[in-house]
Amino acid sequence: MSIDRRQTLAGLAGTLALPLLGRSAFAQGAGTFRIGALNPVTGSGSPYGTGMQKMILAAAEMVNAAGGAGGRMFEVFAEDTQTNPQAAVLAAKKLIEINKVQAILGTWASGVSLAVIPLTNDAGAILMHTSGAPALSVAPSNAKGLGYRFQATNDRFGRAFAEIAQKEGFKRPATMAFNNASGIGNTEGFRKAWEAKGGKVLEAVVYEPNQPSYRAELQKVLAAKPDVIVTGSYLADTTIILREWFQTGDATRWIIPGWAANPDLVKALGPDVTEGLFSVDSISNEEAPSFQMYDAAYRKAVGQPGLSNVYGAMTWDMVVTLALAMEAAGPGADVAAINAKMRDVANPGGTKVYSFAEGKAALKAGKINYEGASSILDFDAAGDVTPDFGVSVISKGKIERRYVTKI
Amino acid sequence: MTDLLELAIAGLMSGLVIGLAALAVTLVFGIARFANAATGDTMTLGAYATLGGTAATGSLIAGGAIGILAGAAAGVIAYATVFRKLERRSPVAALLASIGVGFVIRAGLGLVYGHGQQVFQLPLVRPWRVWGIRIQPTDLEIAAAALATLAAVFLILHATPIGRQMRAVADDPDLARVSGIAPRRVMIALWALAGGVAAVAGCLLGIKTVVAPEMGWDMLLPAFAAAILGGIGHPVGAVVAGVLLGIAQETATPWVGFTYKIALSFAVLLLVLLVRPRGLFGRIEGVR
Repeated sequence: MSIDRRQTLAGLAGTLALPLLGRSAFAQGAGTFRIGALNPVTGSGSPYGTGMQKMILAAAEMVNAAGGAGGRMFEVFAEDTQTNPQAAVLAAKKLIEINKVQAILGTWASGVSLAVIPLTNDAGAILMHTSGAPALSVAPSNAKGLGYRFQATNDRFGRAFAEIAQKEGFKRPATMAFNNASGIGNTEGFRKAWEAKGGKVLEAVVYEPNQPSYRAELQKVLAAKPDVIVTGSYLADTTIILREWFQTGDATRWIIPGWAANPDLVKALGPDVTEGLFSVDSISNEEAPSFQMYDAAYRKAVGQPGLSNVYGAMTWDMVVTLALAMEAAGPGADVAAINAKMRDVANPGGTKVYSFAEGKAALKAGKINYEGASSILDFDAAGDVTPDFGVSVISKGKIERRYVTKI
Repeated sequence: MTDLLELAIAGLMSGLVIGLAALAVTLVFGIARFANAATGDTMTLGAYATLGGTAATGSLIAGGAIGILAGAAAGVIAYATVFRKLERRSPVAALLASIGVGFVIRAGLGLVYGHGQQVFQLPLVRPWRVWGIRIQPTDLEIAAAALATLAAVFLILHATPIGRQMRAVADDPDLARVSGIAPRRVMIALWALAGGVAAVAGCLLGIKTVVAPEMGWDMLLPAFAAAILGGIGHPVGAVVAGVLLGIAQETATPWVGFTYKIALSFAVLLLVLLVRPRGLFGRIEGVR
């Protein structure tokens, strides 16, 4: 194919005209606020992504049914990150440039959130995510303060792991981390907390994704003769590693994050391999009325208990907090004004509320403090929350919660 | 020393799977003359079909046979619907089309089975100790399956009329045609064979790891690397190169670590291509 000068010019002119077309065709109505639901529907986040997306839709519907937030109705555009930064960036570009969303909710993997946040920052849009990477708290990622994390940072996970390792009496820990910001964040957080307690990490292995075998990695870790291995890992690699570990005949214990040590892992490996594994996850605000509402919505939309998806509660809270901030900022407020109200509606110092409708009414009287379904949802200066951690042990194929750790 | 030997065994097992995938790549390249990027997804299809077949029949062997048939069928269907139309076009057209075919297979599997992982529920056994070296019984089974597949492929290529015809077409399509070889039959046989080999590779990979829609696509790069290293279009070369890459990667980990072991296999590839641009076994002019 050859392109001559005339065609090139015509093509260029056409491209130049595109933004004009976009603006006229998709002008934002005064009565709507567009948000993107950008979730891991496929890829390694897929056990959670669909539920997360459905909760954004359900919560937006609930807000709209309560008369909207700040005089505006939510319009949700749903996209799939494929748990893949490249795909997520394309989807985020589409959401921002074509759908003109002003907030993106529910990115899950750290790699995805780290890739998307420069785009939302440039567009002056809010990003609410459930990723763990510590880098998302600070500049450059969160230089504008438009990023909010509804999950514990990996650093906090690491601290929780260290608490548990101490409580369980382990003396010789080693770590294995999936080579990304989240995996290494977990094990580094553990190392820092463990060394602060005066301990020493015997061996720290970082491994690559999508390998046909992890035997070499295991051999290195097991050579240090650890009594417990702490991981920053995902479901697929954990499945392969534990299967190969079991076949070595070694008797080490494991502390694994809850997004990897979940019912799918038990289903894949069976009760013998998974016996005695520690599964640690941040837990929802299970006793709160807000959690009851979320649970009912989750059962209705997904057909499973809300407890089965800790991230569903987080995306539910994202919509509610955003809506309350919009309500507090008043009609027609821009994103900056809404962003300025986020901590006002969620942090201590006001009437405790548990739903959007309740908060909307209470805002007329004064300050509010939304207590979320996912946690009590108090944002620190970096936009991070500190949930509690549930420690479960897998016994005879059942994941049983033993105790709750606060850090 | 035992550590290094165990690493070599782990590498050998990974290498056999990579080698089988590379064999499927190289078969298509030798005869249809393009790099088939749908090979990885044909592997995935084979793994899912084997899972389904195993669940339906209760036997992994029967399941494997169903997986091979499914892979072969996928190859033939891809040929009949896509690659036959592109036969006289440039190889780039076929390569791009194969990326599309792979995408269709992957997306289809995702739609039908979902994106969560599935596993082969095989009994987990403790290793045998032979002179202090851990030998996994499952490894022996996987190796036996891989070797049986290789033997079958070489028998077909060298001891059957259709195999001879395939090699004739690989050598010189026009000469084969004037000698009375029907290219259509040869191509169908080729695609069935390549699809079946890919399915075995996928099935073995699935047994070693987990079955998910992206599993085969993720293996494509090592498979291409092994096919190139072995001398593109050369079946023995592909398998030997796969095993070499696997062993080199694993045994190098005590020195280069785990992050760079993948880079190492590409360094090996670069070195070999610098010294022998046609690959380990390749001849200047295609396959024989």
